[in-house]
Amino acid sequence: MKAGKLLVDLCGAVTCTFVAASAFAQTDFDKANQEYAEGHFKEAIAGYETLVRSGPLSANLFYDLGNAYFRASDFGRAILNYERALALERQHPEAAANLQIARDEARALEMQQSWPERYLQFASVNQYSTTAAVAFWAGALCIVALIFASRRSVRLIALSILSLSVFALAIFAIYEIDHGSKGRALAVVTGSDVQARLATADTANSVLALPPGSEIKILNTRGNWVYAALPNNLRGWIPATSAELVRL
Amino acid sequence: MYGPRIPIAVLLGALIALTGNDVAFADSPNVTAVLSNSEAVVGEMVQLQIKVSGAGDTKPPENISVDGLEIHATGTSRQYEMRNFTTNSSVTYNYTILPLQAGRFIIPPQTIRVGNSSLRTPELRLNVADSPGRSTRSNQSAQPANAAKLVFAELIVPKKTAYVGEIVPVQIRLGFDPRAHPKLLEGPEISGQGFTAQKLQQSGENLETINGRSYDVVTFKTAIAAARAGKFEIGPVKAKAQVLAARRPNTPRSRSPFDLFNLDDPFSDPFFSDPFSQFGERREIEINSEPVAFEVKPLPQNAPPSFSGAIGNFTMTTEAKPKSVQVGDPITVTSTISGRGNFDRVNAPAVEDDRGWHKYPASSKFKNDDEVGISGTKTFEMVLSPNEKKQNIPLLAFSYFDPAKEQYVTLRSDPIAIEVQGGAVPVPASVTSQPAASAMPAAAATPAAKQDILYQLTERGRVQSFTPLYVRPIFWMAQLIPLLVLLGFAGWKIRQVRIDNREARRIAALQHEAAELMRKLRRDDVSPREYYAEASRVVRVKAALARNVDPNAVDAETAADTFGLNADSRERLRRLFEQSDEFQYSGAHNGSERISSENRRDVLELVEHLHV
Repeated sequence: MKAGKLLVDLCGAVTCTFVAASAFAQTDFDKANQEYAEGHFKEAIAGYETLVRSGPLSANLFYDLGNAYFRASDFGRAILNYERALALERQHPEAAANLQIARDEARALEMQQSWPERYLQFASVNQYSTTAAVAFWAGALCIVALIFASRRSVRLIALSILSLSVFALAIFAIYEIDHGSKGRALAVVTGSDVQARLATADTANSVLALPPGSEIKILNTRGNWVYAALPNNLRGWIPATSAELVRL
Repeated sequence: MYGPRIPIAVLLGALIALTGNDVAFADSPNVTAVLSNSEAVVGEMVQLQIKVSGAGDTKPPENISVDGLEIHATGTSRQYEMRNFTTNSSVTYNYTILPLQAGRFIIPPQTIRVGNSSLRTPELRLNVADSPGRSTRSNQSAQPANAAKLVFAELIVPKKTAYVGEIVPVQIRLGFDPRAHPKLLEGPEISGQGFTAQKLQQSGENLETINGRSYDVVTFKTAIAAARAGKFEIGPVKAKAQVLAARRPNTPRSRSPFDLFNLDDPFSDPFFSDPFSQFGERREIEINSEPVAFEVKPLPQNAPPSFSGAIGNFTMTTEAKPKSVQVGDPITVTSTISGRGNFDRVNAPAVEDDRGWHKYPASSKFKNDDEVGISGTKTFEMVLSPNEKKQNIPLLAFSYFDPAKEQYVTLRSDPIAIEVQGGAVPVPASVTSQPAASAMPAAAATPAAKQDILYQLTERGRVQSFTPLYVRPIFWMAQLIPLLVLLGFAGWKIRQVRIDNREARRIAALQHEAAELMRKLRRDDVSPREYYAEASRVVRVKAALARNVDPNAVDAETAADTFGLNADSRERLRRLFEQSDEFQYSGAHNGSERISSENRRDVLELVEHLHV
């Protein structure tokens, strides 16, 4: 009886803390929005960045932060945050529209996607993960049923093959999307006058000039330099501080 | 025994073959030809180097003949270079050119035989001036002979007039008497103001005889560029060296055969006649050359808009790829500028008409053909992206000042046809308040008006994470549910199989028992007690098999019902059970009595016809 009361009290305390924290975060978010509305973009950026650091994250938070950077004429970081909003929520129409405008403004370069990546984009990695799990267990259940069945059922065999094919396709899609040009290694150039170079030296020959907001795919890191796949199927070294990963 | 060694040998052979291939074919063969100076005066020696890279057996041109120039082959050198485990070889053929008269000479392309194919060198131009430089040069050349020194320095500037920013190659020659065991301590360096000099590169060392005296001559090359107009003095060249000289004895010396002019030649010292007679000492000496007068003219005023300060003589080629794109797709335009001049001031060609194009900053890389970087090739890669349908890449213009022609030259790229598909770059429908139908043509016809971003969102939205679902612990915890379901299903199936097996074994045992009893019933050596007991047991077993019950639970009525017997058969069965019980429990008919054949047949017939 006493233990039950203690458990109820504990649950109540946790719920109250969560609600209070959410309310507090929403207040900070509103405050940052207010700064933005008053044209204090630097203060708004500081407010949003604090929320990003403290979490929890949401697509709307990155979208608003992107807008604040856009207003502050920092198109590289504006594009970075729109990309982050879209990475969290693929169907975010406002972020997609503003990203297009920011890219146009910054003349940013985009990575070319491979054709499997383009065709597999209709679902997210999380959706493919769920599909893979469901297909795997359905296939496993069918195989177990087939093993113990007194006679082989054509339906069960067909269902097993179908489930395992869906499972394999989902795994392939996860790999392609996660390791593709817009996958986990996707980064956005935030520095200005960034040159991709042939070697890790400021004096090395330039491969490509990267306007702020240009997409790159980080392949390797060496000290203060990152080796990246660049738009136009090029590769080069850029200073690590000049680009930020889209996925935190 | 030798089996395992064979594949290793084959592998080694393949590796060696591959390595050999790398040496020979690391790059496709190519040839470059450069002159040490493109401007010279009559009597001034100019070096010609023909360098063949990436080729094995090569055969140089046997003789190069140009009227007014005396050209002689002076030697061949071969270089090997290993980079990234790839070995490149190159061979350089050296020639000296002695201009016999003033004028503009063209050294025609020379054919180099490379295996079964042939390569051709580029055409080279040499401008030879008359007397002004000749006197200076001859004075400089005379210096070491007259001085009869242990060391000498010589500054050779082929041009005495140049334009601001024009690159002028400069050669420095330091000569040392080899008997003095010289050691260069500092320099050389060119002093003077009003010009910038590139880093000195040592380009060769050879033994020369000047006025009958041998000198070890080290040649350095560099290039200078004047920073402002006016008259300057270049040099002198300064260097410090350490040489071995004899200690001065108190007694008068005999004259050396080298000291023709009695100019206090240190080699007059007996030390050089007999090195073991007394020891020499090392002395530091300064080496200075004569300065050279240099006049710098300003560039003409009428510079074209695309002029970025390039001075020299250049050619330009342009290519673009891909040639078929969608609106908004990038096209890489590669411009290659080759020639001779100040490549540090060679900038990317300008796009003459960039309307309807997005232009991105160009990247560049330079490959020099000589030590000082005066001649070479600079390649620019520029990304252009069409905003609308286009038929051609916009023309690219590159301007430079040609000091030989004394005028500006503008090179333009040839038109490059492309195919651009799709309409104008689309404008997001949600961004503009205009109807979509009117927005699209407007965007295509004129540069799109600056668009503004959408509003702020006041709702923070649902909490999300960048971590993919498949790496979250909750995802893998959730997999426990289907795993448990699967394990439960498999366990239930296994139990079912086991139960089915036990039942099957019981049925098999009963069938076996029935068959055994039937076999016994057909024998005639059993007592009535045994016979009736076994007959009733057969009936029970058969009924138990039919009803899937325990045989002991079957009585006569149950058995009769099971087999659906008629009244007569039912009565006979009842009697069979009664007799079996009677023999079993009454103790009667014990002994050696035997059952009659009629009874046996009756019982057998009844039992055999018991079927469900």
